Amino acid sequence: MPLALPDLQAAFAAHVAGGDRADLAAVIVGDSIPAEARLRVYRHHVSHSLSAALAATFSTVHALVGEGFFRGLAQGFVAEALPMQPVLAEYGAGFPAFVAAYEPARALPYLADIARLDWALNVAFHSPEGRRLAMADLAVIEPDRLPSLSIALPLGAALIGSHYPINRIWSASQPGASAETVDLEGGRADLLVLRRADDAAFIVLDGGEAAFVAALAGGESLEGAAEHAASAEPSFDLSTAFARLLSLEAFAALRQF
Amino acid sequence: MAQVAGIGLRSPHLAEIARDLPATGFLEIHAENYLGASPARQAIERLREAYAFSVHAVGLSLGSTGGLDEDHLARVTTLVKRLDPAYVSDHLSWSVHGGRYYNDLLPLPYTEEALDVVVRNVGRLQEALGRQVSIENPSCYLGFAHSTLTEPEFLAEVVRRSGCGLLLDLNNIVVTAHNLRLDPLAWLSGLPAEAITEYHLAGHAVNDCDGQPMLIDDHGSRVGAEAWALFDAAVRRYGVRPTLIEWDTDIPALPVLLEEAGKADRAIGSPSPHAARAA
Amino acid sequence: MTKTRIAIASALAAALVLPVAAQAQGNTEKCFGISKAGKNDCQTASSSCAGTSKKDAQTDAWLSVPKGACEKIVGGSLAAKK
Repeated sequence: MPLALPDLQAAFAAHVAGGDRADLAAVIVGDSIPAEARLRVYRHHVSHSLSAALAATFSTVHALVGEGFFRGLAQGFVAEALPMQPVLAEYGAGFPAFVAAYEPARALPYLADIARLDWALNVAFHSPEGRRLAMADLAVIEPDRLPSLSIALPLGAALIGSHYPINRIWSASQPGASAETVDLEGGRADLLVLRRADDAAFIVLDGGEAAFVAALAGGESLEGAAEHAASAEPSFDLSTAFARLLSLEAFAALRQF
Repeated sequence: MAQVAGIGLRSPHLAEIARDLPATGFLEIHAENYLGASPARQAIERLREAYAFSVHAVGLSLGSTGGLDEDHLARVTTLVKRLDPAYVSDHLSWSVHGGRYYNDLLPLPYTEEALDVVVRNVGRLQEALGRQVSIENPSCYLGFAHSTLTEPEFLAEVVRRSGCGLLLDLNNIVVTAHNLRLDPLAWLSGLPAEAITEYHLAGHAVNDCDGQPMLIDDHGSRVGAEAWALFDAAVRRYGVRPTLIEWDTDIPALPVLLEEAGKADRAIGSPSPHAARAA
Repeated sequence: MTKTRIAIASALAAALVLPVAAQAQGNTEKCFGISKAGKNDCQTASSSCAGTSKKDAQTDAWLSVPKGACEKIVGGSLAAKK
């Protein structure tokens, strides 16, 4: 009895996702290669190709744990969360949380933060560059109006904080990195991930800068953000931090410009 | 003779192509890789001045009974309108079910029921784009017992009912014919010549499947002898068309890809006497 | 205007006239160029005939040990910090 096409596609989808479907095998022409073996080509391709896409997006996670371990990790995620749309560069938003809960990776407590960094870099890469806030844009504003100004992060930007030195872990995991080790006790890291003209990149922030940027991203005015930064980090120097962030093009241009 | 063979543009070659602008017939991109506002898409848009483009979609799922994903269709439409490519194509297959994307070119039974679905979806796609699209024959690893049409008959009927073009992948014919015990030359005969807009060429792997050889369309090597012979036969029978070299697994250095395209150009210049007989 | 507000206004204004050398403390990690783009393609994974089952893959995940750049990350306890 042939399956109607909607039923056939439902059965095929269930089969490639891992559930054996005898009704599907029954409508497939088998010969010296049985239907089950033929179906396996599709089932394996789905799992393998989606894992490969995750390996490309989470390239630092992949480099840290190696192909064998990553495959198990990725296939576990694929089995739980297939893509909901066809653009694979946009697949994997839930992967960092999956890594955090993945028992076999417990010995690598920084791995989920690295996954968040990989994802943030991927998001920034696929975001429009947009105009950035320049010193000249602010120079025309009355100085006493500056404190009440709200400043936004560029599209696709993200602040990634970790208890671990994930910037150094990231660097040590890149192709061609030196054999130098990274001390996991090296202190926390706060990274601002940004779209650049030809790629995505991150800036390492100190504690005060991180509090400043986080407050601005949360909608605080420059004044409010400066107060947050000063209470988070008493040595926070507003002039130096603001100048550095502006010169690194860390903010989106003001709406009215 | 003019270069009619082009190459599939893959990201590891993008910077080199943007810098050196090597001569080739055209560049083909996968639509789904350039839907975001990445610097890679900006690079593609700059290359548009130097090259003819083909936009090859891999995720429209033209065989889905649920119809096309309108959000995805809108994004592909935006890209096509920005690039204004010479050709637009996707596959005779499905990859979406129940809102989930399986990232594979899944096979269809060749029935009247499936024909209605594909014709409707291709019609929607052509309506959204305001232009003709071409449909590519997929590599098949299985066939359905209740198919009432052959794959080429099904494709010809989609062409007749929707007005779409055909993208003929000679390697996919080799792979499908071997795996489903068909005669590749018989497969090739009887297509509507005027509908064929493009040829694809690629390499495949031969894998062991429960002790039997199964051809796998891995796009991971040079074009094989059988695909070249079938290409000769197609050119003899249907004429010269823009021809693409695809390579997706173990991507080689750019010159290797260009060399394969050069081979296709030479084959077009002088189809072998063997192919003439075969066709 | 409060005293802190005046101080903040002048600190912000001062940032706009700092010499360039003082501003450009880079620390930017360049991450990847345009070669990072493609993930969608239309080939078939060449390993797809292999006969391992889903169950095997899950057992393997438990037995598999990370083997990569993580060998360069030293020190620290195994427990995640909160």
